[in-house]
Amino acid sequence: MPQSAEKVLDHAKLFQEPEYVEMFERKRAEFENAPPAPMVKEIGDWTKSWEYREKNLGREALCINPAKACQPLGAVFAGAGYEGSLSFVHGSQGCVAYYRSHLARHFKEPSSAVSSSMTEDAAVFGGLNNMIDGLANAYALYSPKMIAVSTTCMAEVIGDDLNSFILQAKEKGSVPQDFAVPYAHTPAFVGSHIDGYDNMQKGILETFWKDAKRVPGEGINIIPGFDGFAVGNIRELKRMLALMGVETTILSDVSDVYDTPSDGEFRMYAGGTSLDEVKGALNAKATVSMQEYCSRKTLEFCEEHGQATASFHYPLGVRATDEFLMAMTDLTGTTIPDSLKLERGRLVDALADSQSYLHGKTYAIFGDPDFVYAMARFLLETGGEPRHCLATNGGKAWEKQMRELLASSPFGKDCQVWAGKDLWALRSIMATEPVDLLIGNSHGKYLERDLGTPLIRLAFPIFDRHHHHRFPTWGYQGAINVLVKILDKIFDRLDAESGAPGQDISFDLTR
Amino acid sequence: MAQALQARIDAAFVEPACGVNRSKSDTQRRKGCAKALTPGAAAGGCAFDGAKIALQPIVDAAHLIHGALACEGNSWDNRSSASSGPTLYRTSFTTDLSELDIVMGHGEKKLFRAIREVIDRYSPPAVFVYSTCVPALVGDDIEAVCKAAAEKFGTPVIPVNAPGFVGSKNLGNKLAGQALLDHVIGTIEPERTTTTDINIVGDYNLSGELWQVKPLFDRLGIRILGSITGDARYRQVAMAHRARVTMLVCSKALVSLARQLEERYDIPWFEGSFYGISDTSQALRTLCRMLVERGASADLLPRCEALIAAEEARVRAALEPLRPRVAGRRVLLYTGGHKSWSVVSALQELGMEVVGTSMRKSTESDKDRVKTIMGDDSHMFENMAPKEMYQVLKSAGADVLMSGGRSQFVALKAKTPWVDVNQEKHKPYAGYAGMVKLVSAIDRAINNPMWAEIRDPAPWESRAAPGQVPSGRAASGDATDFEDC
Repeated sequence: MPQSAEKVLDHAKLFQEPEYVEMFERKRAEFENAPPAPMVKEIGDWTKSWEYREKNLGREALCINPAKACQPLGAVFAGAGYEGSLSFVHGSQGCVAYYRSHLARHFKEPSSAVSSSMTEDAAVFGGLNNMIDGLANAYALYSPKMIAVSTTCMAEVIGDDLNSFILQAKEKGSVPQDFAVPYAHTPAFVGSHIDGYDNMQKGILETFWKDAKRVPGEGINIIPGFDGFAVGNIRELKRMLALMGVETTILSDVSDVYDTPSDGEFRMYAGGTSLDEVKGALNAKATVSMQEYCSRKTLEFCEEHGQATASFHYPLGVRATDEFLMAMTDLTGTTIPDSLKLERGRLVDALADSQSYLHGKTYAIFGDPDFVYAMARFLLETGGEPRHCLATNGGKAWEKQMRELLASSPFGKDCQVWAGKDLWALRSIMATEPVDLLIGNSHGKYLERDLGTPLIRLAFPIFDRHHHHRFPTWGYQGAINVLVKILDKIFDRLDAESGAPGQDISFDLTR
Repeated sequence: MAQALQARIDAAFVEPACGVNRSKSDTQRRKGCAKALTPGAAAGGCAFDGAKIALQPIVDAAHLIHGALACEGNSWDNRSSASSGPTLYRTSFTTDLSELDIVMGHGEKKLFRAIREVIDRYSPPAVFVYSTCVPALVGDDIEAVCKAAAEKFGTPVIPVNAPGFVGSKNLGNKLAGQALLDHVIGTIEPERTTTTDINIVGDYNLSGELWQVKPLFDRLGIRILGSITGDARYRQVAMAHRARVTMLVCSKALVSLARQLEERYDIPWFEGSFYGISDTSQALRTLCRMLVERGASADLLPRCEALIAAEEARVRAALEPLRPRVAGRRVLLYTGGHKSWSVVSALQELGMEVVGTSMRKSTESDKDRVKTIMGDDSHMFENMAPKEMYQVLKSAGADVLMSGGRSQFVALKAKTPWVDVNQEKHKPYAGYAGMVKLVSAIDRAINNPMWAEIRDPAPWESRAAPGQVPSGRAASGDATDFEDC
């Protein structure tokens, strides 16, 4: 056997040993009834053709490799960013396990959330008892300060009414009457995780602002939106706004939730926006969203309460950061401090230093609508040419915004916008109209291997690389991080393409 | 300094073929060409560096640096002189002298052992041994060690005695050329010679520039017998004495070498350039004419003309789409040597305006050419201090600066696009094809959207009260020797 106790091989190498290769081949021959290898190759090549692309893009019913997740994931993420908050998903428990593993695999942190563990009887008779027992157990077991309730499809299909269920549970004494149980209906068959995020945020504000009287103040609320780089980005956001002297409340601050220290203490609830701050947020002068598509309903709600609102598309790059900061000065009357002016200058300098390598590089981008918008905008600033912008959860409004953005620069003229398309469609698109670089999340690694297009991981989820979420992508400094990631990939590729050892003609020490 | 070395340096500075030197008075000539360095001011590389970059492109040789670690440690593999085969030249060999070696005088022995180890492990066709400041100061006789090692191991071991303190990088180039003449050229006879064998002197195949041109030679049946030293093999250098004509590319560095090839071996030489369309054509024409004069078949001339016509038509067609993107743009050229004029005409052809060109390290004939091309000498300048350059760029006197890597930050601080045309550049611009690359590099530099971000005021600036417009930071400092050919 190739495996021995003296030298234990990792699976990546072990299964390439001759014994295993032979075993796999035998199995294929005897049991798989597989088509011959040349035919597999032929069909494989055909799936990269224009002919197949047309069939692929013509798909109406089947979604293959979607670049989106479901509403409750966003709701759990939004709920997690408040002090002592436990996310409680009403429905079957399997869904919740997915949200927890999704967030834990990305942030490499424990992710606490519970469900009402509905089973068949609950589906038949309604989930009221599960809600009553579930809230009581969660309150007793985990001592949260608030429980944020969202729903899975199962509860939505049978039509459970959260408002009435929570009231009844409180009457039955599951939790104290004055205990905060915000809720949001988050069916997975509507929208995606960014809508779930929006709904949950709105539910939380509704709960805490109910019956309160607004006394307009000077503060600014900021909704960061669903963001895989939330740890780095929210900290960067707070740093920039502190430099400007803006009084801010981050609505759903997950930066310390998904970044707890290893010091021997388990923090089930770490960080988060305090409940007093959420209550006080009603008095803010304005609520600003960093991601339009993560907060449309919430901002409407804030407007109804008399607040000014503004929204951005994931401020990344020079102009986008400019816009965000200027909006903050407009809202608060503060000025841009010298330190931020220097940061802007440094970013511009970095762009200038590397421009010859960035110019004319072509990109495919996939991810959430705001991210794709931001990324395309930044690439246009670097002289890059976005060619394919894809958001499975992007709609008509997003598509229109993208087209306007792309029309604003000659570097955007060859770009196609793919709203609602999945990653299998992107495979056909990239196979027929290739690009230099792919920007997206870990799911893009199969496209990278399949098509040879290098992948830059800049969006949630990043499962197969560690700690990227600790570094901001927002603001001037964040843009430098993004720039470096792109350049590293360009230079790595340049080195890899410069021949084999011994014939390394352009394998230069200095670039 | 050893007397022999002093004599060699003096000889390097009385180069009769050098226009600058010829125009000097006797007293001026006695002073030599070395510009006295200003202590405390920025300065370029040393003689060792110059010697190394001139010889390093001999790709199959081992280049062994005798000295403390820094000389090689800081400089190894720092030039993109490309090789079509061996990569030994990119491996760093040094004696890494330690304090004890220096105090106890072990340097020579260590060098000898190092040579043996290099030959044992790599069997190179030759070993170049470079002296540096420390062994030169303590008096290591690298010439004696090399001689002994060559005899003992049966491999050519060439001393390159150009320790850093003797002078500039340019002097190092010259001393390296002299080392080739003294120890290498003429030591191997080619198996066959043709009437169209040539030497290319002063091209280092940086980023593969020579390969932009070599296919043209191939099509004309011209063979590069001696390459000094672009993509060179040791044998190629050793056989250079059998070529029919020498083309000298970077005149300042190796003009003495070309002249001595003529004196010793009757090989006529001319100075030409592969930068720019008309210059490439001119170089090919001259080369073919001289080959025919030396006995090559006369049909080389019409074949050359046909090739030029076809290539020029092809490159002009390729450049045409780029014309609207660069026409009318103003260029400040800061290079020196032959590039000061050879690029100018090409840019002018595309409707660009050259607002100035530096004459650093250029010969008299370089200057004459600039005058012819640009009408007068008002656009010529010698060195331009960074401060002055900053002002020219800042006051929008130019849309783009073309220069070596060290001026790029002046351009960037003045918010002006910059194109790298000097030795550390990463793209080959020589020959017809290179011109297309150069113009597209200019296009990319000028038309990158990033410049709008740099030049436009930040949004808070445009809201500043009148009279509070922030002024640009002036670059400070001065440098006499800012960069090198």
